[in-house]
Amino acid sequence: MINIEHLSKTYGAKQALNDINLSFEKGKVYGIVGENGAGKTTLFKCVAGLEKHEGTIASDYDNLKNHLGFLQTDPYFFSKMTGGEYLQLFCNARNLTESNFEAKNIFDLPLNQYAATYSTGMKKKLALTAILLQQNDFFILDEPYNGVDIQSNIIITEIIHKLHQLNKTIVISSHIFSTLNDTCDEIYLLKEGILVKKVHKTDFGKLEQEMKDFTIGNRIEKLGLK
Amino acid sequence: MKYYFNLQYKMLNRHISDFGLNPAVGIALLPILFLGLSYYLFAKTEFAEYLYVFLCASLLSNLSEAGRNDFIKTCFSDKDYRRIRVLENVILVIPFVAFLLFKGCIISTTILLLLAGILAFMTFGNKFNYTIPTPFYRRPFEFIVGFRKTFWLVLIAYIMAYMGIVVGNFNLGLFSLMLVFFNCMYFYAYPENAYYVWIFKASPKRFLVDKIKTALLFSTILSLPIMIGHLFFYTDKFNIILGLQCLGYMYLLAAVLAKYSAFPAEVSLPQAFLFAFGIVFPPALLAIIPYFYIQSIKSLKEILQ
Repeated sequence: MINIEHLSKTYGAKQALNDINLSFEKGKVYGIVGENGAGKTTLFKCVAGLEKHEGTIASDYDNLKNHLGFLQTDPYFFSKMTGGEYLQLFCNARNLTESNFEAKNIFDLPLNQYAATYSTGMKKKLALTAILLQQNDFFILDEPYNGVDIQSNIIITEIIHKLHQLNKTIVISSHIFSTLNDTCDEIYLLKEGILVKKVHKTDFGKLEQEMKDFTIGNRIEKLGLK
Repeated sequence: MKYYFNLQYKMLNRHISDFGLNPAVGIALLPILFLGLSYYLFAKTEFAEYLYVFLCASLLSNLSEAGRNDFIKTCFSDKDYRRIRVLENVILVIPFVAFLLFKGCIISTTILLLLAGILAFMTFGNKFNYTIPTPFYRRPFEFIVGFRKTFWLVLIAYIMAYMGIVVGNFNLGLFSLMLVFFNCMYFYAYPENAYYVWIFKASPKRFLVDKIKTALLFSTILSLPIMIGHLFFYTDKFNIILGLQCLGYMYLLAAVLAKYSAFPAEVSLPQAFLFAFGIVFPPALLAIIPYFYIQSIKSLKEILQ
């Protein structure tokens, strides 16, 4: 269980997160939705301990980050490191002795090539494989479907289902509502750094319609397309 | 095109500010620092001229990196792109050429000018999709990435060591040994993305000890051929060779700790001065290394705990 209380974060004058209160229960899948700049990535970085913040983030673990796999929106790769070496680094970081990465290469990535030369989707898949190999209990997946092909999309969704079955806690942000619909138990809606809504699975359809109405509104009409 | 160079100037100012200096002071100090280092180099070694050309050539090759060239190409017309590249290279070689001329090194000056011209029309990238093998794959990442970027420097050090033995120039051998260590120190010159530290399940102390162990072990692998070769051919000077090897370890240790003492930021100006002082006056490392260690523990606590 992870409890977040009165979490706030500012960047200079900009209030990125404002008094966020929420909890993530063990074995559940959560979705975080919101427009670009709503504060999703900042929230994730605060939970991971990569950003200083106000408020408290408490968990059952002594040190949450040692049980957390964080898939970043735009994972960083060194220019001369192969995919296989990237996986080795992540295993070394958790004192795991895994070395037969080809056997676990479910996305068929070219592990002997430099990871920095991978496409966006391949980078995402490599970063996801790395945090899965670490055997974490808690996962934060920031835009896991970004740039990923349709086949891998299906695999990622199945991975999330599998992790769910294994009683892992997962928090996902995605702009593709259907993927959240498939995987999440609850969805939180963030708007300009404020948590405006918590929606249970039964009301996902309603939330999607609301978001669609709010997002589109009469914007398209403004174009005056003929 | 003018905007491009204005932007480069602004970026240089920002780098100087990040370093903790007023940009105007920093820019005024740059030529003094360059001259000071040049004099120091030429006073210290008879191979300064070659090193000087080598250093300038490697800086020029950085400007020919494929990614940045592709970016400039997409922003400017072909004609402006060529102008920018030629101008960049000329601006870079001017101080080197001026000092070499002052020293009367006509051939080196000509080589540098030719290189600047030729490299303006070349780009370097990983076009061949070839992964350079390294013996360090079990413990990523510093030596893997660093070795692949600078393996040619290690090769040159080995060739120099071999030549030193063949012609009986002991100092050349010692110089090649230090070249390997300075190259290893370069692997720790810049901080990695904080995420690459965050992923570790380790206390700051354990994290640092592992990094230091890796650095010492892998630098030994790289320097071993030179050390053994010289111990074999200069048996009577084993104390100098082993002493220099130990000094190399101390320098490397200081480099690793200096990096993490400022982490996740880059090394600040006072830290850089302290580090440079340790290089010039090695006994000071006995105090500098523990100081950097304490600072590193503090910096890493923020991320690892």
